[in-house]
Amino acid sequence: MEHKNYELPLQVVSKGDVMKLKRELSALDEYVREAEMRGSGAQLKSLPKTSSSLNEFSSINHLNMLKGENRESGIAFLDTLIEHAPVVRISFASEPSNTFMRKIDKWFRDNVDPYVLITVGLEPSIAAGFTLQTDNKYHDFSLREHFINRKALLINSIKGVKEQNTSS
Amino acid sequence: MTIWWLIVILVTLGTIGIAVVWLIAKFSHLAQNDSKRGVNQLLDSANTDVEHIFNDEFREELRNRGRLHFEKIIGENAMFLQQDLRLTTSQLNEYMKQELSSTLRQEFSKYEESITDAKQLAIDSIEKTKQTIEEQRSLLGEQLSSEVAAEKQRLIERFEQNMADIINHYVLDAIGKQIDLNDQLEYILSELEANKHAIAEDISHGA
Repeated sequence: MEHKNYELPLQVVSKGDVMKLKRELSALDEYVREAEMRGSGAQLKSLPKTSSSLNEFSSINHLNMLKGENRESGIAFLDTLIEHAPVVRISFASEPSNTFMRKIDKWFRDNVDPYVLITVGLEPSIAAGFTLQTDNKYHDFSLREHFINRKALLINSIKGVKEQNTSS
Repeated sequence: MTIWWLIVILVTLGTIGIAVVWLIAKFSHLAQNDSKRGVNQLLDSANTDVEHIFNDEFREELRNRGRLHFEKIIGENAMFLQQDLRLTTSQLNEYMKQELSSTLRQEFSKYEESITDAKQLAIDSIEKTKQTIEEQRSLLGEQLSSEVAAEKQRLIERFEQNMADIINHYVLDAIGKQIDLNDQLEYILSELEANKHAIAEDISHGA
């Protein structure tokens, strides 16, 4: 990607989070511009209260949100991310916590792509494990799939029990 | 000269011959007329005598005798004819009896033979049918046995499959809600790590 110097905070996981961050940043940019216009050249000393995601985004990327070029650069980066970032859909049997998702997100950004975005799904039928869907493939690491793959073993076990009962 | 004499002699002889033939014919015609006339006279005299001899009484007598003789002959012939008729009738009856008996015997024999043949045919047919039925029964029995065995195997396999599905469903339903997602984190990360290259490749191709 073009903005390699920018990092995404771990709490920004999905494309929805990125869009939300971009909307907030755009709103902030608009607010600062309006304030600058209203103040007729007066310097804006402080920013309005922003979300923890935006705070972390600006912090880890050393962006000064009072500077217009930093805000524009951040917005452009987020636009690029919305358009081109790789997206994976990962589903669990139950709703994951934020902490849990940050660990998953960290693994993806460390091992696969630093700008990967994750969409979380809920699939109770898998019981345990997870399923992963990319643009190309569907990976099933669920307990259900594990059971299906070992169905022959279960059938053989049933047969063994049946034969034992028959012989006895 | 000699030839002329010879011709004259031959002509003379011919003329004499013709004259002789004419005379003979003339004489024979006259003789025939005389004999006819004599015969007619004899016949007339015979008829006259016959009329005298065979008068009406004699004729009646002859007629009566002839009638009696004729009746006697008719009676004798009728008796002979009756005897012959009786004999013929009895012989005919005997002959008819024999013929009828013989024919009936032959017909009965043929009929009996036909019945025997038909009976044999029926027995053969029944035997063949019985044999065919036995073969069909055997074949059907084998088919039924194999079908039953196959169906039994199918049912067992279906039962095993269903049983496996039931057990899987039961286990998934029973433990699914009991496993905390945080406890699975290590497993999930290890699975991701194990398939890291495949996932990275998918994402890089898809991006």
